[in-house]
Amino acid sequence: MTIKILIIFFIGIGGGLAVGAGFVAILTVFGIIPRLMQISKTYNYLRGYEIGIISGVVFASWYGLRDMTIHSSPLLLIPIGIACGTFVGMLAAALTEVLNVLPILMKRVGFKEQLLILLMAILFGKLIGSLFHWTYFVHL
Amino acid sequence: MDVEILYLRMRHRLVVSPDQTVRVKDIAQLVGPDDTTSTIGQLTIHKITVHDKTIVVIDLMKVLQRIRNFNPGLEVQTVGPVQTIIEVNYPKTKITGVYFVLVWMLLFIGSALAIMNFHEDVSMQSVHQKIYYLITGKQNDYPLLLQIPYSFGLGLGMVLFFNHIFKKRFNEEPSPLEVEMFNYQQDLDLYVIMNENKENEKKTNDD
Repeated sequence: MTIKILIIFFIGIGGGLAVGAGFVAILTVFGIIPRLMQISKTYNYLRGYEIGIISGVVFASWYGLRDMTIHSSPLLLIPIGIACGTFVGMLAAALTEVLNVLPILMKRVGFKEQLLILLMAILFGKLIGSLFHWTYFVHL
Repeated sequence: MDVEILYLRMRHRLVVSPDQTVRVKDIAQLVGPDDTTSTIGQLTIHKITVHDKTIVVIDLMKVLQRIRNFNPGLEVQTVGPVQTIIEVNYPKTKITGVYFVLVWMLLFIGSALAIMNFHEDVSMQSVHQKIYYLITGKQNDYPLLLQIPYSFGLGLGMVLFFNHIFKKRFNEEPSPLEVEMFNYQQDLDLYVIMNENKENEKKTNDD
């Protein structure tokens, strides 16, 4: 029995280590945190942001996996939704960046001046696509 | 008599119109005695023809050769890049507008499809249902109260990342996209420099 518990314990820690390391690795590759620090000019708070990410991950794993609920007002979902969306939006933007899609595309089509308008196309595409997905596509 | 020294620095990149004659002053910055810089500056280095297509690379040696032929006694000190990339700017055709709209639509529809695929791929719907339950304690198959702010947040996140609210930027620093475009251009330039020079070499050997 003790052996079994120890093995399960060990597997759990191993899995958590791999997933946690992977998560941090992908965040580092995408460079979202440096970007946010650059925008907000808070380079000194790097440690704080690290703690923020770690506690977010630990809290969400625990809270999410335990099927708990806080029976709170649905209005709390609005700020959570905005925060989730912003994070995913930055991830998506960073991913396009890492894949080097835009520089090549801009060079090919040769619209350097209208870069912003083309960025807007991507941005509204994401926004409308997401809205369409939630309001129509999921009902199909 | 003092030795005349002419300081010469090749420009990195030069945009010209078709049929333009490229002179020394166009492709290089010159510092030296006024009369020397003005006469040397007027020397013709290259005449753009249709044969050149869009990119010509002028090597520093070619410029030095030209200056030397003109005035063998002049001492030239060179600084900076050893070649200039000349980009021939042909007038744009009229269909650009239509083309632009097509590209816009392509990007718009493409990114909409990409985000939908992403949501399906990571089971975003069930994650949102779960978040709805975690907060409110009720089951809701369509948690729009979470999903609509989420969608707008998506747009906001991309704006933040690219450092633009359309025309207005948050700060003076270049956006990652601009840096990325710059890097890509640098790579292209390096390729062009190497490649065009190799071609020149081959041509002289063939002759």
